Amino acid sequence: MPLNIDLQQILLHWMNLAILTGGLYFLLYQPVKKFMEEREEHYRSLDEEAAAKLAQAEQVRAEYQAKLDGADEEIRQARAKAQQSAQQSAQALLDQAQAQAKQIVAHARADAEHSREQVLKESQRELRRLATAATKKLAFQADPFDQFLDLAEGGDKHEDS
Amino acid sequence: MKQHKKGLALWLAAILLLLAGALLTGSPGRTESVQAAMRDAVLHDVNRIGLFGLGDVSPGLISAFVVTAFLLILAVCLRLFVIPKFQYVPGKLQLLLEEWVGLFDRMARGSSPHRHSFLGVYIFSAGTYIFVGTLFELLGLQGITVHGHPITLPAPLSDVNAAIALGTLSYLFILAGGIVGNGARGMGKTLKEFSLPLSMSFRLFGALLSGLLVTELVYYFVSLSFVLPVVVGVLFTLLHALIQTYVLTMLTAMYYGEVSERPHKA
Repeated sequence: MPLNIDLQQILLHWMNLAILTGGLYFLLYQPVKKFMEEREEHYRSLDEEAAAKLAQAEQVRAEYQAKLDGADEEIRQARAKAQQSAQQSAQALLDQAQAQAKQIVAHARADAEHSREQVLKESQRELRRLATAATKKLAFQADPFDQFLDLAEGGDKHEDS
Repeated sequence: MKQHKKGLALWLAAILLLLAGALLTGSPGRTESVQAAMRDAVLHDVNRIGLFGLGDVSPGLISAFVVTAFLLILAVCLRLFVIPKFQYVPGKLQLLLEEWVGLFDRMARGSSPHRHSFLGVYIFSAGTYIFVGTLFELLGLQGITVHGHPITLPAPLSDVNAAIALGTLSYLFILAGGIVGNGARGMGKTLKEFSLPLSMSFRLFGALLSGLLVTELVYYFVSLSFVLPVVVGVLFTLLHALIQTYVLTMLTAMYYGEVSERPHKA
């Protein structure tokens, strides 16, 4: 054969390559590739786990955010309710105070009226008594001029003493 | 400082002494002319080696067996002592192994996304064989010919039979991928590329042979054996190994992906 090509040697080279391919596959290629795939799977699972945890955390955050928003609304409602309640109680107190004030004024007016009537009655009675006394004096005493003088003198004595 | 100077002078003196010795003693005499050496490097018809009494074979086949044995022993050692200790955060050796496997796996996935599991194994094996086989000639292992002369074992693929074996095996592998993945259409596509086994085989053979011939030539003459072999022997061989590994595995993966891909329905 030209170039010393030998079929037997070609077949021996094929056999050699077949042995090498099989040996390298089982001893090196497959174990290394399997390890690399395992590691890839491990990191993929870690990645998925992290993504799932992140999603879960995001969900929890959203829930808390919703709760927080709800709490804000609740606080706003409670505040409005408290304000309303405070306004109502203040109004009630104001009404009560006004009622009391009216009552006090009414009492005071009644008392004042009563006092005025009493003073009026008293003064009328006093007037009547004075009128009676004056009438009596006029009727039973002699000369009013003398009486006047006597009174006047009595007054001087009183001033001197 | 004085000690450094003394050491430097001793080192230079030793180099000069060895150079003078090498030039004065000369070579022990040629057993063959440069023409015969070159012809034998191409044809391997004179310096043949006995294969366990089964017949005479070219030294390239012995090199191929040695490379395979070395790779399998290395693989067994790695499987027993390194792979069980793999960590999720890799060390240097683990990183090297992962990159070695991952490089061919990625190439297979990239070239043939629809069918790549066996392609990855094949190009991993072929690529490793070409790379280590090409670097093998740097070791300069000796073999004894049937005539009793010692010869340096060449790179396996500098033997035309090894190159033809790898080229045709790659072609048959592509053909098998085409038939399995695409049926008769795949077979037709592969057969259409009938020049592929020839081009693959002789590309490998030519590339490796040229390296071998240059190295033979350099080592044949004593005057060229200083400094030059560092460039020719090491750098060129390393470059060869990388280029040929890349070319054959890339071509195999590309053609495999092309013939095994099912046609897209419009």
